[in-house]
Amino acid sequence: MSGALRPPASLPSALLALLALAVFCAAVPGAAAAAPSAVIRPSFAPDSPGARTSFAFAYTLRDPEGEGEVPSPLRTMQVRLPAGLGIDLRGAAGCAPARLRSGGPAACPASSLLGRGHAQLEVHAGSQSIPEDAVVSAVRIPDRAGHPALAIFGRGDTPLQEQTISTATLLADKAPYGARLAVSIPPIPTLVLEPDASIISFSLTLGGVRPHAAGAFTVPRRCPPAGFPFAAEFGFADGSRTTATARVRCPGHA
Amino acid sequence: MVRTRCILAGVAALCATLLWASSAGAQELVNITEAGFSPNTPGMPTNAFGSATITSTTGPVPSPIRHVNVYGPAGVTLDLQGTGVCSEAVLIQSGPQGCPANSRAGFGGGEGIYMLGKELVEEKYTLDFFLSDNRPGHTKLVIFLSGSTPVIVEIVLTGTVVAGPPPYGLGFSVDVPPIKVLPEASNASAKTAFLTLGAHNVHYYRTIHGKRKLFHVKGIVLPKSCPRSGWPVASQFTFEDGSTVMAKRTIPCHRR
Repeated sequence: MSGALRPPASLPSALLALLALAVFCAAVPGAAAAAPSAVIRPSFAPDSPGARTSFAFAYTLRDPEGEGEVPSPLRTMQVRLPAGLGIDLRGAAGCAPARLRSGGPAACPASSLLGRGHAQLEVHAGSQSIPEDAVVSAVRIPDRAGHPALAIFGRGDTPLQEQTISTATLLADKAPYGARLAVSIPPIPTLVLEPDASIISFSLTLGGVRPHAAGAFTVPRRCPPAGFPFAAEFGFADGSRTTATARVRCPGHA
Repeated sequence: MVRTRCILAGVAALCATLLWASSAGAQELVNITEAGFSPNTPGMPTNAFGSATITSTTGPVPSPIRHVNVYGPAGVTLDLQGTGVCSEAVLIQSGPQGCPANSRAGFGGGEGIYMLGKELVEEKYTLDFFLSDNRPGHTKLVIFLSGSTPVIVEIVLTGTVVAGPPPYGLGFSVDVPPIKVLPEASNASAKTAFLTLGAHNVHYYRTIHGKRKLFHVKGIVLPKSCPRSGWPVASQFTFEDGSTVMAKRTIPCHRR
């Protein structure tokens, strides 16, 4: 049995001791919970006005403390979509949430699968930040309060085997947006007594150009001069909120 | 290798749900605020978890912990197939990032306290547990304790998996050397601690015959049957003042 003081990576021990003393002597300012920063990346492929398309939406979140820190877990998200974006979910079969929960997307009708993607999560356990990759599927579920709804099923295998289901409801929005997707993200447990996992990055591609793809997405027929506007509002477990905006350039614009 | 002092009440938090004990000469009180197995299903891999507070009847700073024995219920087994190991030397040199992911055995943390002059200083710490030997019958742990505010502390400890006396089964034993975070500070004590050990939902990729396969590490496996009164667990703290606190507890069985 031994107790070993781990040597500092690069600093001489005397310098480290001085640094530690300086940190100790300094007053620690009370810090308000700052929101993570967010970047969103929407895209259409193809992007011709009025064309049936694959709509991809991605975001990344960063802790305000910088690299190595884990942002607070995401709880809500509002994705605001440009006016004119065509979303037709009538061809997609609904999957019962209980079925999705017990058997995953494979247990749902093939025609309920609206899209796929992936996510990277991170959990702070002990002194470590541990990454985990997850596969994401978007599945049509029965309408909620008369609004079209979908479930976003995420599953990670290593190091922890976990699955989570977020629900998203499609609602009308005001100009310059046409619709917004209100997403509710449940806590993603990791280990007992350790924090829930945090989503660091996420991407999802919905629809497609194949005639039999479930759900149809069409590029707006008219493009504003500045491009198609997108916005997202993120709400975190610690109560902080942040927003991000992006524009997709109009076809033919460099 | 510099020997130093450590706060390791976290390991003891593994064992029980509610403990309140003090020996005749001891003034330390251990209150286990939470403990259990997740999932709590006989015969299944599980995570063992617990949290504790440690107080003293004589003042705000409990005596520093010098030794901890933690015992699980008889019949608990370890299935470490698929795990890796991390040596004490690697952990000292490189920290937790230097250890293979599949050598992780658990996590924890808590709050330590020490005196600096007449001032009480509290410091949060984390615990990272790794397997340093995964051979059946020879299982050993290395434990990385770290704190960063107000003073940077990084300490590596070692633990040994042991067989407890009846009615207990496998457990582990950790000697805790004194820890002095600053030369003029008192030896550090633990005020609170929490811990999760095991791997019930841990999976890693392994290459078997050239194919990448997802492999489930079982880790701690609960006994196939649970006594009517629950699973007995215990922990024994020995403090720097010479006192010993033996705490016993039963974790209720999961009834289907």
